[in-house]
Amino acid sequence: MSGFISVDTVRKIYRTRKDTIEAVSGASFNVEQGEFVSILGPSGCGKSTLLMMCAGLEGLTSGHINVAGTKVEGPRQSVGIMFQDNTLLPWKTVLENILFPVRIQKKPMEHYRARAEELIEMVGLRGFADKKPHQLSGGMKQRVSICRALVTDPDILLMDEPFSALDAMTRDEMNDALLDISDRYKKTSLFVTHSIREAVYLSDRVLVMTRRPATVVADIRIPFQRPRGRDVGDTAKFNEICAHLRGLIEHERTPGWTGQMARAG
Amino acid sequence: MSPDRMKAGWLPENVYAVVLPSLAAIMVVGGWQYAVTSFQISPVIFPAPLDMAMAAPGIIGDLFHHAGITGGEALLAFVLSCLIGVALALMLTVSDAVFEAFYPNLVVFQIVPKIALAPMFTFWLGIASTSRISYAILISFFPVMLSTMSGLKRADANTLRLCRSVGASKWQTLLHVQIPYALPYFFSGAKVAATMATIGVVTGELISANAGLGFYIIRAQSLGQTPKVFCAIVALCVLGLLVYILPVRAEAMARRWWRGGNG
Repeated sequence: MSGFISVDTVRKIYRTRKDTIEAVSGASFNVEQGEFVSILGPSGCGKSTLLMMCAGLEGLTSGHINVAGTKVEGPRQSVGIMFQDNTLLPWKTVLENILFPVRIQKKPMEHYRARAEELIEMVGLRGFADKKPHQLSGGMKQRVSICRALVTDPDILLMDEPFSALDAMTRDEMNDALLDISDRYKKTSLFVTHSIREAVYLSDRVLVMTRRPATVVADIRIPFQRPRGRDVGDTAKFNEICAHLRGLIEHERTPGWTGQMARAG
Repeated sequence: MSPDRMKAGWLPENVYAVVLPSLAAIMVVGGWQYAVTSFQISPVIFPAPLDMAMAAPGIIGDLFHHAGITGGEALLAFVLSCLIGVALALMLTVSDAVFEAFYPNLVVFQIVPKIALAPMFTFWLGIASTSRISYAILISFFPVMLSTMSGLKRADANTLRLCRSVGASKWQTLLHVQIPYALPYFFSGAKVAATMATIGVVTGELISANAGLGFYIIRAQSLGQTPKVFCAIVALCVLGLLVYILPVRAEAMARRWWRGGNG
């Protein structure tokens, strides 16, 4: 069985001069085409590393990652990527920043300019195409970087805690914007976060990762229909799922307990 | 001084910015004039401002002529040291091997008191302007190289990941991301280089030349015409300022491009 993104017993070991650190230890999961999957876990648990490996930006120590039926062996161009920081280029306008991947890949500019303008409209930035990043708020900058991730119509969208640097209200707005975008473009998406509510609100499935060395310990299907509204967050079912996930994460956080048990056995 | 106290004064706020420094300067010059006159110091030992003012009209043509020569050489040395500094910074950034091989040596080379090498340049390259320009480049390319290098490393890890992810080549990353990020850093190095280039050329002229303000100073001094020496020093200050304005203006242009006209 393999999905559109298939991660198969992936391990990642960093070797420093002093010691070796196992960042990811035998993670396996699949993401179906058009599915939105969150990876939830404590900070520094290796979930970002896993995402970078899916983008082909980090090598694997062992295991395989396949996207769209081909093995990922280096940066693959059909990936839209978002980081915690907006990584906009301060001297380029909103439109130029969105078209940056098009320019680098030397694709026909006229064709993609229309798409960029459509995306600007979609994320509510009409009238801001010629502004520079320093003239935008934090939330607006992340909207621009969503547009940049989508401009070349990539087959997967990888997001590494894209909203964790924003204030709570802006973050709620960005979650709604991202829901709209994923309903409209139906991109196969992997979303890394450490916010339980954000993961449940946005996702079709939530994967829970343990502390380092990271591995996937739970795979929870989120039953809410799309399109979703903010009222989903007030339902008993939503809060029940959140509580269950919190329990899973807290269980994993018990320091050294599972390790000691294993050694004793 | 707090803004409240400024407002309580007897002049509009913006006038203070002009009036106070001018007043202080006039007091210093006046004090200088007073001290030289009252202690009856000979103008050959230490000329008073009035001695300089009397000497100036007769030599203004000479000063312009020699300032033109010094200025031209300083400008050329400045532009060349910017080009060399940037070229070296790019080479050291693009190639790890070049960096490993040369960077430690360049730092050690920086410790050499290069003023001691100035006479050697006359020995090697003669009395022609090539010798002074080469020496000026030697002492001014380093700040450009160092600051440009740190600027080229300014792009953060995620921006570089983004570049790799969209398939940017090393050169595309350099051109579209690293070089624009390095611009403000380059300019701070270039401003240091502009000062150093002028100093380098004048140092060379003090040692050996047949024209230029440094040459003029040495000649006037040997003839005991100290007021002329001081006039030439004032001319040198003005010249240094003019060369310095070049990178300042270029930086302002670059900043407008960075931040946008209405930013």
